[in-house]
Amino acid sequence: MTETQHGRTQGRAIDHDDEVVVIVGSGAGGGTVAYELTARGIPCVVLEAGPFLRPEDYENDEWAAFNQMAWLDNRTASGPFRVARDFANLPAWVVKAVGGTTTHWAGATPRFRDYEFKARSHYGRVDGANLLDWPIDLADLAPYYDRAEKAIGSSHRHGRPPMPANNNYKVFANGAEKVGYRFYATGPYGTNAEPYDGRPGSIQDGFNFQGDKQTSKWSTAVREIPRALETGLCDLRPESQAVQVTHDATGRADAVVYLDKDGNLHRQAAKAVCVAGNSIESPRLLLMSASSLHPDGLANSSGQVGRNYMRHTTGSVYARFDEPVRMYRGETMAGIIADEARLDTSRGFAGGYYFETLSLGPAFLAAFVEPGSWGPEFTGLLDAYANTAGLWIVGEDMPQEDNRVTLNAGLLDQWGLPAPDVHFADHPNDIAMREHAYSRADLLYEAVGSTGTHHTPPYPATHNLGTCRMSERPEDGVVDRWGEAHDVPGLYVSDGSVMTTGAAANPTLTIVALAIRQAEHIAEQLGGSGS
Amino acid sequence: MADTGEEPTVSDTARAALIRLLRAAYPHATFPDGPYERTADEIIGQLDESLWHRLTLTQGLESLDAAAGGDFAALDDETALKVLRKMEHAEFFTFVRGVAVVSLYNDHEVWELLGYEGASYDQGGYIDRGFDDLDWLPNPRVEEYDGPERLVEVSPEDELSTTGGTSR
Repeated sequence: MTETQHGRTQGRAIDHDDEVVVIVGSGAGGGTVAYELTARGIPCVVLEAGPFLRPEDYENDEWAAFNQMAWLDNRTASGPFRVARDFANLPAWVVKAVGGTTTHWAGATPRFRDYEFKARSHYGRVDGANLLDWPIDLADLAPYYDRAEKAIGSSHRHGRPPMPANNNYKVFANGAEKVGYRFYATGPYGTNAEPYDGRPGSIQDGFNFQGDKQTSKWSTAVREIPRALETGLCDLRPESQAVQVTHDATGRADAVVYLDKDGNLHRQAAKAVCVAGNSIESPRLLLMSASSLHPDGLANSSGQVGRNYMRHTTGSVYARFDEPVRMYRGETMAGIIADEARLDTSRGFAGGYYFETLSLGPAFLAAFVEPGSWGPEFTGLLDAYANTAGLWIVGEDMPQEDNRVTLNAGLLDQWGLPAPDVHFADHPNDIAMREHAYSRADLLYEAVGSTGTHHTPPYPATHNLGTCRMSERPEDGVVDRWGEAHDVPGLYVSDGSVMTTGAAANPTLTIVALAIRQAEHIAEQLGGSGS
Repeated sequence: MADTGEEPTVSDTARAALIRLLRAAYPHATFPDGPYERTADEIIGQLDESLWHRLTLTQGLESLDAAAGGDFAALDDETALKVLRKMEHAEFFTFVRGVAVVSLYNDHEVWELLGYEGASYDQGGYIDRGFDDLDWLPNPRVEEYDGPERLVEVSPEDELSTTGGTSR
């Protein structure tokens, strides 16, 4: 096999010895950086662990899609959180494919609020929490939020029309109005209500977490990656598992060592490396990249690599009614209530949360509604399926030092590399917020005639954040205000790992905004039009 | 599978006990036998996944009659449920549950019985097939609120000048 005959290469073949920007991961962060850099004339190699699935490959079937695209390599969950008991090998539900987790993201795109960039200042000292203010604020990010919303095509923004109300939203919004909430709508939501940006409007087919066959939903697999390939400057290598990031004698990042699908090791030279493997794989890669200069893992002089793992304070409420709802018809998450997404510690906790519509099919509802449950109480939940409405709680969780991703020396993946372990415990603030949200959701559904609700515990995490956090000072975190490692010039982290705190908002919009901003900075550092 | 043929790998009695177990553990008045039988066969089909699976399941199914003090398959729902409650932490029951919860609710006949229509892309989605046909509540606003109230992002008590944060 010669250097350029990967067999898997998509786009322009770049020589292994060419020093280019090497991007690990092709999701919200990596895919966006790849597009932004190649559009500026800077060649990039994108290493993606998963295959290049096309919309026609997506399966409109929950388990089939899960088995097709979920990241199912060996992983362990540990600690007192319930996921460690119910889904010991599935701490997170993320995607292994070109497009990464944007393939199955639901689509909600709220921005962070200003106070959420200053959590340490606003929340003060919270016992057990490792809070820190971001080194940037909302004003720094606002222009990039605009660009991210336009890239994604967020509804309710920049002239994009709202999604129509589906059945689940009708219950949700009527309940919201009755309990006095005002700040609800069918978005902002990253799916086309009508054609936009070369992609069609939604046909409300009800599948979303399985990839959108219609391509109305934004993902980097349907926008940024194809456009990066069109520039002729992007070499996309699917089924390529990054193993190590290396540095030269001066300590500058200089290459990525990776495995192709047949298990052959390659070394791709780099003038800069952008790590964007999501908050479990990114710290895992840095920890696997320990060197004599970085004995505790690359860029880990702070000891914060892998720490402060956040997964959002989540939970679901499923409510039963006497009348049909058929929540599965239509866009899954085209419904957001923002009234509780604020700071008001008189509620008994710091930070805020959103309610968002959510629907699962019977297959996933059975697996997740009350894991491990059986008997008549359980089957009663399924019998009510057609008359059930659902929502998801998503709120800020506290960063804690001991909530962390480590290398599990006792378990290897299929390549012989140490599997990541994800250790997590709820903070008391997380529990107080979740209980508040459950009780408010009960009131909301009771207000429109619910005959009963079920409080579903958190799922394997779809929002994984904080494990390479951004900090002003090198001793407090892993990367600086641009996402460049404090310790390693030329090494960038380009995904949700950089989040200093998690805020209440779904993270994808912010990951994209940060990635656009970072790419602009990298382009300046590299002197404009690249090599 | 190490199996060579189509022959069932457990006895008819054990299969009948397993079907009875599934009905008792996952009781749905509207479900016919088909989904339970298919789920039982899925469980039996995974018997050879490991020697441990085979040992625990075979032994577990054999223990049902003893736990029932007779013929488990002949028990009524309520009695069968009581028997199962006593063994819910047994490894074999955990294994049965793990397969059943996936297999039973992934059965297309079950989807129909529960009122789930599944994939719709090939039929043009639900956009013209009832995605918004709920008629027992008024049509709500879909736009963001533009009235006089403002969302207070930080309550006055939590403003930086007055707070040291929470004390938890």
